[in-house]
Amino acid sequence: MIEIENLTFRYPEGEHDVISGLSMRIQRGSLFGLLGPNGSGKTTLISILTGLLPSVYGQVRIDHKSYPQDQYDIQTSIALVPQEYAFYPRLSVVENLFFFGQVQSIPVKKLSARVCEAVTVAGLGSFETVRAENLSGGLKRRLNLAIGLLNQPQLLFLDEPTVGIDPHSRHFILETVRKINNAGTTVVYTSHYMEEVEALCDEIAVLDNGKMLACGTLSQLLVNAGKRGLIVTLMSTPTEQQRQALLVVPGLKIRGHELCMSHCSESDLWDLMELLETEKLSIVCMKYGYGNLEEWFLQTTGRQLRA
Amino acid sequence: MTVFALVKKEWKLLIRDWHALLLLFVMPAAFILVMSLSFQNKYTERRGVEVHYYLINQDNSLASARLIKDLLLLKNFKMRSSHASFSSLAGQVQRGHAQFVVSIPNGFGRFMQSRDPLPVQMVAGPTVEPAIYNLFEQVLRGTLMRVYLNQMLAPLNVARLKAGMGLQLGVHYAAVARLLHGVSLYQVNGKSQRPTSVQQNVPAWLVFAMFFIAIPLSTTWVQERQQGTYLRLRSMGVSAKALLFGKMLPYLGINLLQVVLMILIGVIVVPWFGGEQLMLGHAPLELCAVSVAISLASVSYALLISNLVSTGEQATIITGVGNLLMAAVGGVMVPRFLMPPFMRTLAIFSPMAWGLEGYLDVFLRQDALRPVVTNIFYLLLFSCFCLLFSGWLLGRRRRG
Repeated sequence: MIEIENLTFRYPEGEHDVISGLSMRIQRGSLFGLLGPNGSGKTTLISILTGLLPSVYGQVRIDHKSYPQDQYDIQTSIALVPQEYAFYPRLSVVENLFFFGQVQSIPVKKLSARVCEAVTVAGLGSFETVRAENLSGGLKRRLNLAIGLLNQPQLLFLDEPTVGIDPHSRHFILETVRKINNAGTTVVYTSHYMEEVEALCDEIAVLDNGKMLACGTLSQLLVNAGKRGLIVTLMSTPTEQQRQALLVVPGLKIRGHELCMSHCSESDLWDLMELLETEKLSIVCMKYGYGNLEEWFLQTTGRQLRA
Repeated sequence: MTVFALVKKEWKLLIRDWHALLLLFVMPAAFILVMSLSFQNKYTERRGVEVHYYLINQDNSLASARLIKDLLLLKNFKMRSSHASFSSLAGQVQRGHAQFVVSIPNGFGRFMQSRDPLPVQMVAGPTVEPAIYNLFEQVLRGTLMRVYLNQMLAPLNVARLKAGMGLQLGVHYAAVARLLHGVSLYQVNGKSQRPTSVQQNVPAWLVFAMFFIAIPLSTTWVQERQQGTYLRLRSMGVSAKALLFGKMLPYLGINLLQVVLMILIGVIVVPWFGGEQLMLGHAPLELCAVSVAISLASVSYALLISNLVSTGEQATIITGVGNLLMAAVGGVMVPRFLMPPFMRTLAIFSPMAWGLEGYLDVFLRQDALRPVVTNIFYLLLFSCFCLLFSGWLLGRRRRG
């Protein structure tokens, strides 16, 4: 649905490219996670995809349409939910929804129904007449999302939709996003919260310094990283003789009664299991696998995603 | 150490915020300069005030020569001699190029001491403040009295005066009062009338109020940009043009409501409290055109400011101080002709001056259509410049 080819972007007064030679595809109906630390180019990419910034070098196609010639067609079929509370605090929930519906030229006959639907989906039924400035942080996020649903977009861009809200509201928004996606809307979701993206998205792209570090499903990303870690907690601390026997396994580190390997192949794992049995060392718990996105990003770039 | 670090941090923050520096240094400096220069003459016993008048002398008597000589000694009233016709000079005064025309008729000296003297004509421009009118009239009467007494005492022998003989001067008091005939070019129902302070103050403060709409308009625009609503609207395909006009139209409406309200106050409320009634003149179309042009100028100016600044606070302060400066320069606080020459030149560039002159054209000059059109043209030109610049800034913002 979204095709990006060799996209490069630099701000007029910028000294280097914010996006550099980026190519990717986002399939119709997917829930696509866009990850990256601050300054990685996520917001710029979303601005280009929503027509807020012009793509000078490279190609961007949404449903085979391009900016600027198909700008109207594209913008009527997409919606952007910005990170900020992008509505009018002194208008009520319903007044905000009607206003944004009207500026999108939604026919009057359909508008009331669309507003009702958006209010229901966002769970704002009890707050229709409340001024937006008097809503809690979580409800403001829901209103922000509801406005994005008015034109029944085929493609929805959510820029950090859960920033600064309580776990209950976050859970509600994540569930709502899942339902929207299940109903057929393609969702591009940016977030700093790795666990959200891991739990929600079926495809993920990681940006850093305007370049794509990786793109694929979560398991593909972690497998492609090729490093499976191992942490084994033993019942007792190994003796010196046992330590010497265990250290035959390459890369193994022993700290007290904990054994660690930053990269452990399957054969190494079997070797270690046999040695533990031979040395009669009992296991309390064991963690083996590809880790998570946070660890993967740290390993790949040497930096924290949320830094 | 901590305090030092804090002070250092604050200093760095301050010197890197050019908006703050502008507000802290440039704005007050400009304000002090403009206000001091504008009010200078008001507070220095009118020293340096330059009220200009044309003089036409059709008399060749000693009395008229003496009158001219005395008039030339006046410091604050600058004479411009001219050979142009009376009607032509009256036209100049009507357009505000000078404040008065003084005409000494042929035979003035000869009939001065008669029961039926030929009066000196004093014609005031329609926008001359009542206080200035009265001041100049009194100065002229005083000068005429001196000339009259000189004329009367000259033939008397000093020795006879000393002996106390023959002091029957035969002053015709009623005739002396008729030595000067003053009229204003301001007319109500075809009759010359002196304009009241209401005629001057209502349009002045109305223009001032109309430009103050810049504060709410610019702050809401900046807020929309900061809150992300602007971004959202752009992503919905709302064009920059639609955004600009969507902002302009309601505020134009508010401006026009201000006009109606302020005029009603001048026409109805001020007389309730014993003041003079505001006379609207006979040019409703021109009045509407000037009002719309001022409104367009003020709204466009607000849009320009809001696209230049980054925060609501900056918008509030810059538009507020900018309005005060424009008002001071534009003759809202002090009539332009009372300002020093440099300030009068500067006033040519104040949109408030164009607006105020436009209203004065309608309320006071009445039949001077050309100046109204000129002032409307300037206001529309200013509005176009502000809108184009705002559009360019919006486009630039969109490009990144």
